[in-house]
Amino acid sequence: MAWRRLWVIGARDLMRNRRRTALSLIAVALGMALLMVLNGLVQGALEDALQYSIRYQTGHVQVRKDSYEEEKLSLKWKDLLEEPEALAARAQALPEVKYAAPVLWLNGIVNTSDDSAGVRVFGIDVSSPVYQPIRDATTAGAFLTADDRNGILIGKRLADELGVDVGRKIVLDIVDASGRAQESTFIIRGLFTTGLPFYDQNSIFLPIAKAQAFAGTGDRASAVVVMLRHADQADKVTAALQGPGLKVLTWKDLNAILLATARVGLSFYYILDLIVMLIVAVIIANTLLMAVFERVREIGILSALGMRSAQIRIMFLLEAILLGMAGILAGAMVGSIGVAYLAHVGLAIGDVATVGGGAYLMGTRMYARFMPGLFAGLGAATLFVVVLAALYPAWFASRLEPVEALRAL
Amino acid sequence: MPVIRLEGVTKTYITGEVTATALSQITLDIEVGEFTAIVGPSGSGKTTLLQLMGCLDRPDSGVIQINGRDVTRLEADQRADLRREQIGFIFQFFALIPVLSAYENVELPLLLNDVDADERRRRVTELLDAVGLADKANRRPDQLSGGEQQRVAIARALAPRPSLVLADEPTANLDTENGRQVMQIMQRLNEQTGTAFVFATHDPRVVSFARRVIRLRDGRVVDDGVQVPEATSWAADDYGMDSPGSCSLSFC
Repeated sequence: MAWRRLWVIGARDLMRNRRRTALSLIAVALGMALLMVLNGLVQGALEDALQYSIRYQTGHVQVRKDSYEEEKLSLKWKDLLEEPEALAARAQALPEVKYAAPVLWLNGIVNTSDDSAGVRVFGIDVSSPVYQPIRDATTAGAFLTADDRNGILIGKRLADELGVDVGRKIVLDIVDASGRAQESTFIIRGLFTTGLPFYDQNSIFLPIAKAQAFAGTGDRASAVVVMLRHADQADKVTAALQGPGLKVLTWKDLNAILLATARVGLSFYYILDLIVMLIVAVIIANTLLMAVFERVREIGILSALGMRSAQIRIMFLLEAILLGMAGILAGAMVGSIGVAYLAHVGLAIGDVATVGGGAYLMGTRMYARFMPGLFAGLGAATLFVVVLAALYPAWFASRLEPVEALRAL
Repeated sequence: MPVIRLEGVTKTYITGEVTATALSQITLDIEVGEFTAIVGPSGSGKTTLLQLMGCLDRPDSGVIQINGRDVTRLEADQRADLRREQIGFIFQFFALIPVLSAYENVELPLLLNDVDADERRRRVTELLDAVGLADKANRRPDQLSGGEQQRVAIARALAPRPSLVLADEPTANLDTENGRQVMQIMQRLNEQTGTAFVFATHDPRVVSFARRVIRLRDGRVVDDGVQVPEATSWAADDYGMDSPGSCSLSFC
């Protein structure tokens, strides 16, 4: 049939009432742009939270004793890895592994003469590249050295809260491996600012040797943290590092809460997406229905000329597709600009990021992520919704009796 | 075989509790090549009769045959197919598709009939030439006068080579000169193509073109006869010189 002519009629009909077409196009475009920005932003935030968590907290893979209880940051010898250096070396030898290093985690309280705060203490191999992100984030003073027996690195945010600075002394209280309270005085060597409020407020770093001595764990460690060349190699490396009495966890296991929350959060966004699409659908349906009412007479003429009802339906659907595609393309352009802006400048969310606790490491700004696949999917879904919305007006037009339609003559 | 045969055709409209009989027991034949006027006062059933002949509507009772085929109870799409292939329409209000040029309007029924591109081009060019609008082929309806639009509508009605062209008050919205031209063109194309033309009118000057006149009153045929053009009518004028378009159609 005359497909080309139907497209032409559709396109020219859209140009007949330019203001209405422009308004509908703007509605579709804004809907599409909004979908891109919303989804780009939430995907960016979730992706960033996951990357922050992997980079600063969990690594891609962790090896622990199978009895280790993370919630308690247990320091009992039976719960700690006995030869963490050897295990780290074994992991490091795997081709998929970029870096591996032992870590000892402690719960502690830092005290100054005026104030105190609960913190998570990281006893780290200060020479390992695993902690390069902290080294890079050290903004005042210096990073730790392995033989530093009383140096400590704390977050700038914590330092500000405690009113201390580089060179000042602070007292750290912990409960050691034998369950006895221990207290030691440290000198602040440096301050770090990762930009993650919760992390900067709740984390302090010691050389692992000092932490082990302080906590009485011998040369044991809580875990070996492994960074991979590619995150999708985690399962393979996990299998390679399995051993009796060991528990090997991937970044998915270690960020289960974040990932589960992300799924719920994304479901919420899918509902938002649906609402935006429904608004677009209503606008399109309204536009096309008005177009049908305005063109009853023409529908009668086309019917008199022998156009079948299916062809009349298709003519209006093509019109909707044209309007939808034009709106989606315009929206994709506007949305790309919005996403690019939010990817570059971000959206300030302030200290809200501290609320979620360590499960969600978020910065003070949310950054959008450009996700071509997702955006293409949203565009296709929007077009699908537009076509769905056009079905009723198109059906209405095709059901007009030619005699009734021609009465409009 | 007549192009169209109506036997005992009745059509009633029901509006609320009011029942109005638009046509009652109409029986008539239209033969190939006829140039027939249906005349009668407003409300006599002219338009309804044309709509039934054109398969735009279905009768309540009676039988309609087109080229020997009973079309009385065809479904909507079957009627659309029939209209597309065998019936051309000319309406009072020109009824062109406003977003298409004169050329594209004439071409539309050919596209709907899947006529190939070369043949479409040939037919559309010849028809626009025949109605004197070859030089205005690319104009949209709003760039044409009423008379020109109606000439495009005539060309469009003839494009698929129908066996029957139905025209409902084709000159009602035209001035005298344009009305005359339109009727002259219709008459000439009727003679050249052999296509039967049936037109509804209550304008005596238009009726004067008809070779057969069917008179309706209150939905019934009250007179049906052959006439000769009157000496004072438009039809008696010499339209050969000033009638727009005068080519003969090669595809007729």
